[in-house]
Amino acid sequence: MKQGAGPHLRRNLTVLAVVSVVYLVVAMSVTNSYYQLILTLVPVWALFGVSWNILSGYGGQLSFGHASFFGIGAYAVTLGVVYWSLSPWLGIPLGMVLAGLAAIAIGFPTFRLRGHYFALSMLAYPLAILYVMQYLGFQEVSMPMHRESGLRFMEFSEPRIYTLLAVLLLVGGVAVSLVIENSRFGLALLAIRQNELAAEAAGINARLWKMRSLVVSGMMGAVAGGFYARVLLVVTPDSVFGMLVSAQAVVVTLFGGVASVWGPVIGAAILVPLAETLQAELGTYLPGIQGVVYGIAIIAIMLLSPDGLYWTIGDRWFRRAAPDGIPDLGPDLEPLPPPVRRASTHAAGPLLQVEGLSRAFGGLRAVSDVSFSITEGEILGIIGPNGAGKTTLFNVLNGVLAADEGSARLDGQALLGRKTFEVCRMGVGRTFQVVRSFPRLSVLDNVIVGAYGAGLADREAIAQAVRALHQVGLQDRSGVPAGQLTNKQLRLMELARALAGHPRLLLLDETLAGLGREECDDVLGVLARVRTQGMTICIIEHTMHAMMRLADRFVVLDHGRVLATGLPRAVVEDASVIEAYLGKKWLARRDA
Amino acid sequence: MDLEILIENVLNAVTAGITIGCIYGLMCIGLGLIFGIMRIVNFAQGELLMLGMFASFYLVSEGRVLSFLGPYWGPFIGAMSAAPLIFTGGALLHKFLISRVSGLRTVGSLDEGHFGQLVVTLGISLILQNGGQILFGSTPVAVRTPLSSEAFLIGPVYHGATVFLNKAKLVAFFVAVLAAVVLYVTLEYTRLGKALRAAADNPTAATYMGIDVDRAYRIAFGLGSGITAVAGGLMATYISFTPFVGFDYVIIMYSGVVLGGMGSIFGAFWGGVTVGFVQQFSALILPPQLQNAAIFVVFLMIVLLRPQGLFGRSAERA
Amino acid sequence: MLEVRDLSVAYGGLRALEAVTLSVAERQFVTLVGPNGAGKSTLFKTISGVVSPVSGSISFAGEDLLSRRPSERAHLGIAHVPEGRQVFKTLTVRENLEMGAYPKAGRAHWAQTLDRIQTLFPILAERAGQLAGTLSGGEQQMLAIGRGLACAPRLLMLDEPSMGLAPSVADTIFERISQIHREDGVTILLVEQRVAEALERSDHGYVLETGHIVLEGRYETLLADDRVRRSYLGLTEA
Repeated sequence: MKQGAGPHLRRNLTVLAVVSVVYLVVAMSVTNSYYQLILTLVPVWALFGVSWNILSGYGGQLSFGHASFFGIGAYAVTLGVVYWSLSPWLGIPLGMVLAGLAAIAIGFPTFRLRGHYFALSMLAYPLAILYVMQYLGFQEVSMPMHRESGLRFMEFSEPRIYTLLAVLLLVGGVAVSLVIENSRFGLALLAIRQNELAAEAAGINARLWKMRSLVVSGMMGAVAGGFYARVLLVVTPDSVFGMLVSAQAVVVTLFGGVASVWGPVIGAAILVPLAETLQAELGTYLPGIQGVVYGIAIIAIMLLSPDGLYWTIGDRWFRRAAPDGIPDLGPDLEPLPPPVRRASTHAAGPLLQVEGLSRAFGGLRAVSDVSFSITEGEILGIIGPNGAGKTTLFNVLNGVLAADEGSARLDGQALLGRKTFEVCRMGVGRTFQVVRSFPRLSVLDNVIVGAYGAGLADREAIAQAVRALHQVGLQDRSGVPAGQLTNKQLRLMELARALAGHPRLLLLDETLAGLGREECDDVLGVLARVRTQGMTICIIEHTMHAMMRLADRFVVLDHGRVLATGLPRAVVEDASVIEAYLGKKWLARRDA
Repeated sequence: MDLEILIENVLNAVTAGITIGCIYGLMCIGLGLIFGIMRIVNFAQGELLMLGMFASFYLVSEGRVLSFLGPYWGPFIGAMSAAPLIFTGGALLHKFLISRVSGLRTVGSLDEGHFGQLVVTLGISLILQNGGQILFGSTPVAVRTPLSSEAFLIGPVYHGATVFLNKAKLVAFFVAVLAAVVLYVTLEYTRLGKALRAAADNPTAATYMGIDVDRAYRIAFGLGSGITAVAGGLMATYISFTPFVGFDYVIIMYSGVVLGGMGSIFGAFWGGVTVGFVQQFSALILPPQLQNAAIFVVFLMIVLLRPQGLFGRSAERA
Repeated sequence: MLEVRDLSVAYGGLRALEAVTLSVAERQFVTLVGPNGAGKSTLFKTISGVVSPVSGSISFAGEDLLSRRPSERAHLGIAHVPEGRQVFKTLTVRENLEMGAYPKAGRAHWAQTLDRIQTLFPILAERAGQLAGTLSGGEQQMLAIGRGLACAPRLLMLDEPSMGLAPSVADTIFERISQIHREDGVTILLVEQRVAEALERSDHGYVLETGHIVLEGRYETLLADDRVRRSYLGLTEA
């Protein structure tokens, strides 16, 4: 669970209960059948939006084809009733199962794509199914009436019962979404959305979580579709697989507030009645007004408040001072002494041994025959002029890039050839040059991501995150939203996130870049302290004076090759190093 | 007997593939320009096609502005006149809406601004489709030309196998090729064309050269819109269409552009030709509704197996 | 000709330049050196308008530069040869040069300008029809410089032209730059990491470290000053 998840969840569920009750009271007092239908459709579309939000809001995998699942659910229910007299009470779960299977089948190939390729490909699936359905002759399927056994077939003469059912389904969906939002599932998805690479480096298996989100999202979408079919009684391929259906999920969620469970609810509550009413009133003169309204809504929201109404209003009206310290976590989570270091299997040898590492991009040798080692408890500085291959070296060690040649061993175990999140689990933590945090989440939640990645259970993860914050000195800011941190504090938070994963080796990429003199000193102090507590650090930096004070040894890279290794004082006097930085002629003049 | 029919069908599929393929190719160039130069994922491209069809229809049909041109020349001139109209429309769309979510503003952001572009153009697509329904109604219409029911007969080629060259499609084919050539010449040899390519290649360096990259993008977007509209106007001579027709062609366009390689403008042309071939040949073996499904399958396969397409450069793969 | 006063530039929290003042007189050859991350490229980007300063002013030939849009600045006669060459890879060598001549001043005497560029860098004539992306690093650098010259600039700004090049190739590049300065009388502002090569050809030098100008003077003065080395290798705080 996220820190503070318990009370947060309870609060949201209470709101959910209250809102539902109010809605039902209003719904029960409406007698016009058309408005009753709208009141039923709002929770259905809200549920669909909530399902889309899990995949595309939390996870950031923008999909334009969610109608696949909606349609599967709709047809499962409809065909079930028509051909096998299958009650919709069973048809909806059947639709869920089918949608789940479809999600797996769709996810496997499609998650290999990113960005707009992914969005466009997801678009193709419902359309392909649409054409197949038309081909199979299901142009229009209507559900027969079963007045005698109405309950069995989810058929009620009183339309307001449908509204009740719809709200119950929505409550279920929102509850599921809230649980996800407040659990490690949600944090993993957010991390992937924020920066998939950094999430992997923090130990999160992105493929697995994305697939899970697709399956859950698909199953929920099928529920919405199945119920929709039940309410409307007639299903055509276009009405459940069509573009407007997929668009509706996107529109209500983006409009209401993406990546929050309340977003689709708000969006549906505003847009669905608006569009349906306009359609009813003006539909004869202006057919298609519904689509126009959705189009305008979504353009307006993208240009004016891209995160959606919920966030924009929330940020503005409820800007309260965030609590600074750690809220009540209980007495057993006081800062503990640092954990005992795992005994290394090869106690005598170096912690990291790199030999003959090479990596080229086309003709450019970014890393060329690089060898060095790091002993446990050492701070090694990797320096070199611009473009020397330093970050590429880290990327290879980290599993982001494959090596062309060479080997790297962490405590005797091979490091190369593994996926990034596996490297993290082995005990290698990494920070990146550009820090991307979740600005609205608290510092502690940002750091907990790192602890989850290392595979810790919930309570342990929170404890580890707290410890990490103490190590870097940010414990007083742990409840603050990360967006309010200064540059230096962000760097420290990033460091804490890497520490929370309980690493044996830290790869730090330009942690001090852009910091002022004093801030630099502060961070140096933290790093020194971290090392005395037993951490091994390998750091890339350009801020030379800082490195001189911090590092035990230097490795100098130039044009991908190791130019020199040794004690800092010696290395900066080394002729070849001076030449690399200042040029040959400088050296010649100096010696002349 | 069977062989003769088979040969006739194949030959007709080939000729149809070439003629329709080149029209698809023109359509894809439009998207290729927009995606290739600006890396904008324009979801509304199908609607630009549709607008071209309706523009031509309203210019050329009986009693309208260009109806004096008569049923033979009218439709094709109408198709070409749609271009400046939609060019302007596209440029305005870019200026007021699309430039806010693309270009130098979004370079270097997490997903290069694609999210915003996809969503805003989705909104534009919805407005155009449904707005089109309001303005034009949903009864299918077509631009009438007697040529669409006349054909040249070539043959008998093989024991009675005859090739039918539909005249309307043939003329459309020539116009499409002509338009593509004109565009090619403009991009390759004129100062404006080179400036557009430079802005596409490296917007920062182009700014250093004194090229107004924003303006270049606006022109490119307008061009891309206009070219697709011409293709639409040409298609209007042999299909009937409603305001929702754009949607059927979005996947064809994206398939063509991806197949040709995103980033290669004329690769998109060849991609479109290929997709046209696939479509015509699949008509030999598949029933009509599944033909479009076949195109989706092709799209998915390209994207999964060879995302850089035939001529393209980079791809976004996991 | 170019006057930078008290220029401060920040990238989201990081102060890249702090109250930088420097000037380049007409026909001068001025060099700016400094270690990595000192902010040298930021200065050029600010002059070209790709980055906006927090405070300070830049004037060119008496005019306030900051009030001009980025794409207008080349038309004033400022040519920017960017870090990493940034040639148009999908255009041919000839087309790259033509793009350099995009401003009116460039097109005015295009034939003579092109001739001059091809005399300085014969390889560009040889490879005129080749795609720029297929050239070697040194050839791309020559193309980038040629492209900068194509608009007959009043000020030629070069950002680390030797980066990533083998020393002998870099030497050739430096010689050509000197030649351009001597023979064509072009005003030059050069940014480099290779201190001696850059300084010995120039009239005046500035040393930039973490966004501040820490030293300036004629090259013999700077060359003899060990503070330059210490600044590069992080020994200033020791």
